[in-house]
Amino acid sequence: MDRVPILKLGDILIVTIQIDLEDQSVLALQEDLADTVVATGARGLIIDITAVEIVDSFIGRMLSTIASVARMLDAQTVVVGMRPAVAITLVELGLSLGGVRTALNLEKGVALLDHVWDRARR
Amino acid sequence: MTDRELVRVALADHQDVFAIRRFGRGIAELAGLREQDQIRVATALSEVGREAFAAGAGATVVFSLEERDLVIAVNHLAGADLAASEGVTLAGRLVDEITVDIGAGRIRMSKRLPFNSVPPSLDELRAEIARLTPSNMLDEVRQHNRELAATLEQVLQLNTELQETNRGVMAMYNQLSAELEETNRGVVALYAELDEKSTRLREASETRKRFWTTVSHELRTPLNSVIGLVRLLVGPGGEPLAEEQAHQVRLIGSSAETLLALVDELLDMAKAESGRLEPHPSVIDVVALAERLRMALEPSGEASDVTLSVRVADSVREMFVDEVMLTRVLRNLLSNALKFTEHGTVTLVADLDAVTNEVIFTVSDTGIGIPAEYHERVFEEFFQVPGPIQVSAKGTGLGLPYARRVAEALGGALELASEHGAGTTLTLRVPRQMEPPEIQRVLIADDDADFRALAGRMLVGYAAHVDEASDGAEALALMSANLPDVVLVDLLMPRLDGSALLQHMAEDERLRRIPVITVTSGPPQGSESRHALSKQGLRRDHLLAAVHAALGRSRG
Repeated sequence: MDRVPILKLGDILIVTIQIDLEDQSVLALQEDLADTVVATGARGLIIDITAVEIVDSFIGRMLSTIASVARMLDAQTVVVGMRPAVAITLVELGLSLGGVRTALNLEKGVALLDHVWDRARR
Repeated sequence: MTDRELVRVALADHQDVFAIRRFGRGIAELAGLREQDQIRVATALSEVGREAFAAGAGATVVFSLEERDLVIAVNHLAGADLAASEGVTLAGRLVDEITVDIGAGRIRMSKRLPFNSVPPSLDELRAEIARLTPSNMLDEVRQHNRELAATLEQVLQLNTELQETNRGVMAMYNQLSAELEETNRGVVALYAELDEKSTRLREASETRKRFWTTVSHELRTPLNSVIGLVRLLVGPGGEPLAEEQAHQVRLIGSSAETLLALVDELLDMAKAESGRLEPHPSVIDVVALAERLRMALEPSGEASDVTLSVRVADSVREMFVDEVMLTRVLRNLLSNALKFTEHGTVTLVADLDAVTNEVIFTVSDTGIGIPAEYHERVFEEFFQVPGPIQVSAKGTGLGLPYARRVAEALGGALELASEHGAGTTLTLRVPRQMEPPEIQRVLIADDDADFRALAGRMLVGYAAHVDEASDGAEALALMSANLPDVVLVDLLMPRLDGSALLQHMAEDERLRRIPVITVTSGPPQGSESRHALSKQGLRRDHLLAAVHAALGRSRG
């Protein structure tokens, strides 16, 4: 089973998924992310799914779960780089990725997090 | 539907769900679906695949192209009701049509190809699919797995067989060792029996010797009285006897003397047997001795048809030996020869064997000879070759055995060669010099018994004792028991060979100093490190020189 690397940039953890996500990998990623958030005290989590072509209901739910767990640990999650085909499929499936913020790309994801934090400080 | 079928893939484990959805996407692309639809198909396949896999093992996915539809049939375990499952519901949102056949255990999904596209031919599609077949790797891995499992099974089977064989071998081993033990017990019993027999034999031999000694001694006294009395009767000064009486008394006397001679022989034999024949050597005149023998034994009377001749070579006119014993042996041999020769000659020849430095006395006759089958037996005590002459001639059958014993006591040997009816030749070898031995003990270690005997004979008179060993281990034991002055070692021996023997000697504090002469079967070779001797054409003076050199070197 392939493990997905987790990068840390300041307060943000960045995960770039380069492989076709399989269930085991997603489950492992969820645990790794929770551990890393706690260990680093990161406040933001960006999951880049640019390379992911197929997001079925299981993966969609797992992304929601990851976001919920991160929120419990005081970290905001942004999913970036979703392909149009994936987005359409998710909508057709009736999955809204509830509770998961999305951004077009990494840059916008970082900006979104800054914005969220700014608003929280005010 | 089969003729429209593109490919069929097994859904054996969880990983296959992901492989198949990727594969499905590839097929969708080849079939001409747009990218969005490819993703839809793949996602739907993923959803349905999970459900089918969860329903039970042995699911298959069949892709086919019908009219303008890409049809994907997922065959799962029959009886599982997946119609209401979430996966099927979700997949239904992504494909154009989905039907669930609970009875057959099949979910059938179809996706319409775009109107403006031209669907590829089935053959083309199949060829393309074959190229991208995803399950290739998986199949390979599975194949490997199967092969490994098969191999494992084989190994297990082999193992079982081996265990069985092992059990068989153990059983055989047990049986064999039981048999061996039994045999061993038998051998031990046999050995004990043999031991007992040998003890009894020794006792018998002892008794026999005691009997001889006693009897011959006790017999001699009255015989001597008889002989003395006869001499008194017929001697001057006695009462004159009538002619007839005198003749009878003389007959009594000669019979008594013959009897005494026999008894003497018997006593000598007993002495020789008990090893009490100690030679007392002195320098003797061999010519005179031979002449005396000739005079004493030459057949008297004109009737005799036998001539006795003696010849002594110049090189052996003198020798250092026990004269009494040598005379006895020669007299014995000559009288025997004369006894069994009716016509012809008896010859005594004394000559020197330069190689071994022995004097060789040859007694040959032209008599009746001895058949080959008796050549060994004539050296047995009380044995006489059956025949008419033997019946008429007086004898105890002790002559030759006695002669051989005396010859051995002199350090020599007695050999016989004869042909029935064509005479007999007896060869007596006596060492020429019997000076006080120069060295005490020589050990000859060689597996060649002939060489040991030859070298041993050459050393007679030079060394007081000669030990013989047939291999290295025996040699080591002998030299540890009695430290020799010189060791003759053959390098090629069974068990412990010569080199190993020398190695052992070098490691031992006591044996290290013993000079060693190595003996080889090959031609002589110069050896710097050690005194070496070749067996080929070995002469006594060479051997003694080598011994001298070895001793001198070690002492110097």
